[in-house]
Amino acid sequence: MKSPMPPRFPGSVVIPLLPIASAARSADARAKLHEEIANVFDQLRDPLLRYLWTFGLEVPDGEEVLQDVFLSLFRHLERGKPVDNVRGWLFRVAHNLALRRRDRARRAAETQLDTGNEDRTADPAPNPEDRMADRQTRQRVLAVVEALPEQDRRCLFLRAEGLRYREIAGILDMSLGAVSVSLSRSLARIARSAERSGS
Amino acid sequence: MKYADSHLSDQQLLLDVEGELSARDERAVRAHMEACWKCRTRRQELEKAITDFVRVHQREFDGELPPAAGPRALLKAKLADLSETGDRERGHSGWFRLGRGMALTAAVFVVAALGFVLARLGVERGRSLSPQTEVVSTPDSRLTPGATVLVSRPAVCAQPGTGNKAVPAVLQREVFREYGIPGADPGAYEVDYLVTPALGGADDIRNLWPHSHSAVWNAQVKDALEDRMREMVCGGDLDLSEAQREIATDWISAYKKYFHTDAPLAEHRRGPTGNGR
Repeated sequence: MKSPMPPRFPGSVVIPLLPIASAARSADARAKLHEEIANVFDQLRDPLLRYLWTFGLEVPDGEEVLQDVFLSLFRHLERGKPVDNVRGWLFRVAHNLALRRRDRARRAAETQLDTGNEDRTADPAPNPEDRMADRQTRQRVLAVVEALPEQDRRCLFLRAEGLRYREIAGILDMSLGAVSVSLSRSLARIARSAERSGS
Repeated sequence: MKYADSHLSDQQLLLDVEGELSARDERAVRAHMEACWKCRTRRQELEKAITDFVRVHQREFDGELPPAAGPRALLKAKLADLSETGDRERGHSGWFRLGRGMALTAAVFVVAALGFVLARLGVERGRSLSPQTEVVSTPDSRLTPGATVLVSRPAVCAQPGTGNKAVPAVLQREVFREYGIPGADPGAYEVDYLVTPALGGADDIRNLWPHSHSAVWNAQVKDALEDRMREMVCGGDLDLSEAQREIATDWISAYKKYFHTDAPLAEHRRGPTGNGR
């Protein structure tokens, strides 16, 4: 993803409407449902992994959680239960599973959550000045984000994966207004940090 | 909204950037911005903050993602496996049908693999021993790690009462078989939920185990703990996931902790009663 970043948060992914799976009883229909779920997996695996990663879940652990998330989707549909917004549903389940994992990991062994944060600097910027500027931006933005309350951070991370305000509200169990307040407050802080650093 | 005399708030500007304003508000915001350099500048600052954040966020993660083909194939294999298992279970016991009738909707089985150590049974439970004589007061974490449904605290607390429904006989037999005591006297055990449905426990075999009536730490004692924990969860004194974790990891320790005692209280040690709590 080396193309220039769009000025806005990434847009929505188009999700096909999954067949409601009372039909999943015939082998054909079920195979089709498997395929559709795998297609949704193709579209949302990366954003979901990125989101899980913000909980301190490294990729292999995130992949494991995602398998559970998508199997849950299948079970849910197989029982004939509706999913109005597949993306929102998947993020919500992933969010809840990640919270549990994180809680468990914290208790189990005081794991170092932000392992290697300092080591992830290897972004190939075109020239030394750009790289320096990038690094400064990175440090500045990370410092602001890390200081945010958990819920504000969650709003930002979800929005960065393209979720709309209404979806974020559903996933985090907040009101629409609270999502908008949270995002504008966080962005104002990032903007203020840019002002201070003169960038 | 009136924008003539005052400037727009960050929130209004952001909602405009994000296309989240109603048509009417959007017109008003745009009209204000046409006339106001300050708000236009502020809008750009917010947009730049988004760009900065998105760039940093994505760079942080970039380069770490392995190709999706492997996980995708794994998912499809698991889906196929799940469908087959589902067929088998439907054919044998009707357990899935039972699951469908569950009151807790939006249910997603989440196996909380909370037991890290091996079996922590109340007594050594070698499979070769005569099963009927064993006293079991804690589950085998390999067989019964605990399973919960995804449900919020308000939803849990909105459920009336704490009584659990009876576990069907066929499922009870399955639990006995799984625990290596297929010929067990059903009267000697209560097939008990590890995480009670009153705290979001799932109707799932991974959440069921044979709990001896004759154990000192018997099902009635555990019921008392569940009632106490539910009160605490619904009173806002205990996190639901924490309650689930504690009860699934070591319910006896949880009892000792919440009742400040090392032994079951007399009033909790009633004789065996009904089924499935």
